[in-house]
Amino acid sequence: MPLPVLICDDSLLARKQVRKSLPESFDADILTAGNGVEALAILRSQEIGLVFLDLTMPELDGIGVLEAIKQDGLDCFVIVISADIQPEMQKRVTELGALAFIHKPVNPDKLIVILKHYGLI
Amino acid sequence: MSTIFSEEQRDCLQELINVAMGLASDKLARFLNTFVHLQVPAIELVNSAQIPAQFDAQYNSIEAALVSQGFLGSDGLRGEAIVLYQLDNAHRIAALLGYETDSASELEMLTDISSILTTTFLNGLAGQIDNQLSYSAPRVLSSRQNNVTAALIETACHWEMALKVDISYQLIDHSFNCDMLLLIPGEAVLNIQQILDRIVEEF
Repeated sequence: MPLPVLICDDSLLARKQVRKSLPESFDADILTAGNGVEALAILRSQEIGLVFLDLTMPELDGIGVLEAIKQDGLDCFVIVISADIQPEMQKRVTELGALAFIHKPVNPDKLIVILKHYGLI
Repeated sequence: MSTIFSEEQRDCLQELINVAMGLASDKLARFLNTFVHLQVPAIELVNSAQIPAQFDAQYNSIEAALVSQGFLGSDGLRGEAIVLYQLDNAHRIAALLGYETDSASELEMLTDISSILTTTFLNGLAGQIDNQLSYSAPRVLSSRQNNVTAALIETACHWEMALKVDISYQLIDHSFNCDMLLLIPGEAVLNIQQILDRIVEEF
């Protein structure tokens, strides 16, 4: 069964970069969201197994999404993909439950290592 | 800007700039030993002749600094990066960095901050488009009241286009706002469009 995956980023280019970085062997149904509000609407209405989450976004940022996921007890893995690479930010998202933190622009090799590590591929 | 760039080109440029801003913020955060709250910078491409009037209201009645740094890369990518900021903002940063308050070290501090902001940002931008830039030494064009507009008129007239990047750095206990302008020759716009199209096509 394909894994339901959500790619959340306000940039179309960034969403495409993530999609293209996923290996062909990764069996996924991919949905996209352009900001945190859209992402939460999807996460609350259907089962999503994995979220690729940007941090700096309009409406609701990635930190807000992580807080809501934690508060609502939503059951999904989150991998943060962000241009905000400050160590303090990496610590914050990890504390909020994110599995991993990847710097933008996304490096496909690093992404595959993480997906393998968590048994997602 | 929508008349000059297609929506896809604009989205692409915005993302390249976001990544470059992330690198510059990280550098600034390490330099100041604090956390920098990163916001999505507003970008706009305008005719450089419009620049002095656009910043006149914002900077003419306060003490402001204007620091310029030239950059040169391959494929016709060249220009002048201008960082504009309020001096009282800069003084707070200087205090954090432990600079003395005399005017000689004020110049040193202004060039140091600008160099962190500009060089890291532009290197990050160039790296994403497989280009490499070299830089001239930063020059403080104006650091006192009333001559910011004059300095802008004098500088902007050498160029045709300007990419405005509105940057706001919020530190934990205070905020630091500055404007970055990338003054570029008209033909560079076509070059940038081609680069953006190539990246859009790639994904």
